[in-house]
Amino acid sequence: MAASTDIFTEREGISSPLAVSLVLHGILFATILIYGFVLNRNSGNNWGGDSFGGEAMSATLVTNIPLPRPQVETQNIVANESKGLTESKPKEEEQPDVKAIPIPDKETRKKPKQITSTITKPKPVEPPPPENKVPFGEGGPVSGPYGSFSTTTAKGGFGFTGGNGDFGSRYAWYVRAVRDKVSQNWMKYEIDPRIGGSKRAYITFSIDRNGRPGDVQVEQSSGVPSIDISAVRALQRIDTFGPLPQDYSGSKVMVEFWFDANR
Amino acid sequence: MRKILPILLVLLFASFAFSQTDWIKTGTGLGQERVRLAVPDFKPVGADQQTTSLKKVFDTTLWNDLSSAGIFDMVSKSFYPLQVPGTPQEVNASAWANEPPKAGMLAFGNLDAAQQDIAVQGWLVDVNNASTPPVLAKQYREKASEESARKIAHEFANEIIMRLGGGVNGITDTKIYFISNRTGHKEVWQMDYDGNGQQDITKQGSIALSPRISPDNSRLAYTSFAKGGVDIAMYSLELNRAVTFPRFGGTNLSPAWSSDGTKLAFSSSRTGDPEIYIVDASGQNMKRVTAFKGPDVSPVWNPKTNSQVAWVSGRTGLPQIYMMDADGTNVQRLTDQGYAVSPSWSPNGQYLAFAWIRHYGPGAPGNQDIYVMDIASKRFVQLTHDAGRNDFPSWSPDNRHIVFQSDRRGRWQIYSMLADGTQQRELTQSGENTQPNWSFK
Repeated sequence: MAASTDIFTEREGISSPLAVSLVLHGILFATILIYGFVLNRNSGNNWGGDSFGGEAMSATLVTNIPLPRPQVETQNIVANESKGLTESKPKEEEQPDVKAIPIPDKETRKKPKQITSTITKPKPVEPPPPENKVPFGEGGPVSGPYGSFSTTTAKGGFGFTGGNGDFGSRYAWYVRAVRDKVSQNWMKYEIDPRIGGSKRAYITFSIDRNGRPGDVQVEQSSGVPSIDISAVRALQRIDTFGPLPQDYSGSKVMVEFWFDANR
Repeated sequence: MRKILPILLVLLFASFAFSQTDWIKTGTGLGQERVRLAVPDFKPVGADQQTTSLKKVFDTTLWNDLSSAGIFDMVSKSFYPLQVPGTPQEVNASAWANEPPKAGMLAFGNLDAAQQDIAVQGWLVDVNNASTPPVLAKQYREKASEESARKIAHEFANEIIMRLGGGVNGITDTKIYFISNRTGHKEVWQMDYDGNGQQDITKQGSIALSPRISPDNSRLAYTSFAKGGVDIAMYSLELNRAVTFPRFGGTNLSPAWSSDGTKLAFSSSRTGDPEIYIVDASGQNMKRVTAFKGPDVSPVWNPKTNSQVAWVSGRTGLPQIYMMDADGTNVQRLTDQGYAVSPSWSPNGQYLAFAWIRHYGPGAPGNQDIYVMDIASKRFVQLTHDAGRNDFPSWSPDNRHIVFQSDRRGRWQIYSMLADGTQQRELTQSGENTQPNWSFK
């Protein structure tokens, strides 16, 4: 342990450092005051004033926003299908060995000719093809409950799967009301204005007996987030589609709804 | 294992039953089309005078209700087949589904008023799917009178609109409350949504302003000059008399009901400067929500949430529309220029209708027109054009119509229109009629 020294025995005078400190503080305050008064006199008067209108949300009618066009795409040279500068060597063909002696084949025994009778069995009469038969590869949209209401815009067809499978045909008016209501609540301005076309967004949801939509899910994204979000929001805005038809026995229907944002 | 097997079987069948849900697959593009609806005149059962005259009232009312609903493309009557059906057996669906009518839906029925009663049977069928059950089959019976013929037509139209309009009730049984001076004093009047059945409510021989009906249609709040001051007054439509409501002192204007009927917002100058206050439906628990220099008037609630209030404030000079949370926080200004007054919030909470002179002042010829703003995006649409001054818009409960006042023909009268500005119709003719308010249901 080091020997301790009492450092408090010597008392230094406080007056001279205090005076220096006071002078320096005085200079500091004077500088701040002069700076505030002389150099910066005009700023700060408009805080909360009317001329700025800072709280206002300005609202202007905009049809679209001019945005820079996307840059012209340049083709990727590496992935190009044109021939490259280097040639790949063709594979050398194997030459047959000259010294090799072929092994003779076994003699094949000749089969006697089968005698076939000339009498042919009468063919059973083919039943006529059922009316709803679809030839392989020529199916197309299934006829029947599909498209049982006509639309001129050709933008909204409907169909259904599973269950008793007759909701769409028995209550085409309800399907149509669902389609119109969703369409009305789909705010097109929510879609990114730069998007010219995209794939359809598929949304699934359920409708309970009282007509309330629920279980809204993006089944298949359109690839454009703003379209998917606007589609989900359209369904969130809807309180009810109206009660399901009274003579319908089920407790709910499931809906697969597509949104086509092609302009 | 033997005990478990039946349970497993039950579970298996239950899962089958659950999987048997109907699937609808449908979709939409950017365009939209309306249902083509054909409404032939109903078939008279008798040929007497009363049936003929009542049927005329019924047919006209039904046609007007459906054509003003804003969701149908009405097929003109000149395209209809000559044979008019009165029952579903008489419907030749293909004749209606094909050209020339090319209807999607057909509303028809028969009317019998030979006796004391008027009996109406009505159907709505999908003519493109003729084999399916009718969308709607209704039967009505009332005492025979023009009023009941109109009432039945309204009810049948409402059913059709509800079914085909996605569960939104029609507005054919709603009322419009307004101020009229046709008796010499400004009193509160009421009428049907189509202008029929106009009758006065208050008879105080003074000045009444800004009537606002409560959401349950039981009480009417308005501004009254009857007791010397300018106060909020309350009129009970059940008791058919004014009921007591506290007086707050100063000038109290423009009461507004919250859509749950529990609160009332209004503007009061009891402290000198008109500010927005909120009280209970009984007038108790007063709370001040604005505290700015300059007048704050005409509050309206967001009917969807009752957590926001839009109002008119003159804090920057000319009146502008603002919106805030119901506790006075989060103030936003919605209009940026001109002279904007009379906000009305749509029942679905998405839109704000208001009257606006966009360029106000000397040298700026500005008409006062009705505008609708989409609150989320702050985009707005002008609904009236070049037609006098237009003011006091009020939304219908179905979000599809707006009633307002206009002096386009010299005197203030009440007009209604679709929310896109089309189908403008004059509803009142006698005296001057102002400040309409559409009932909540």
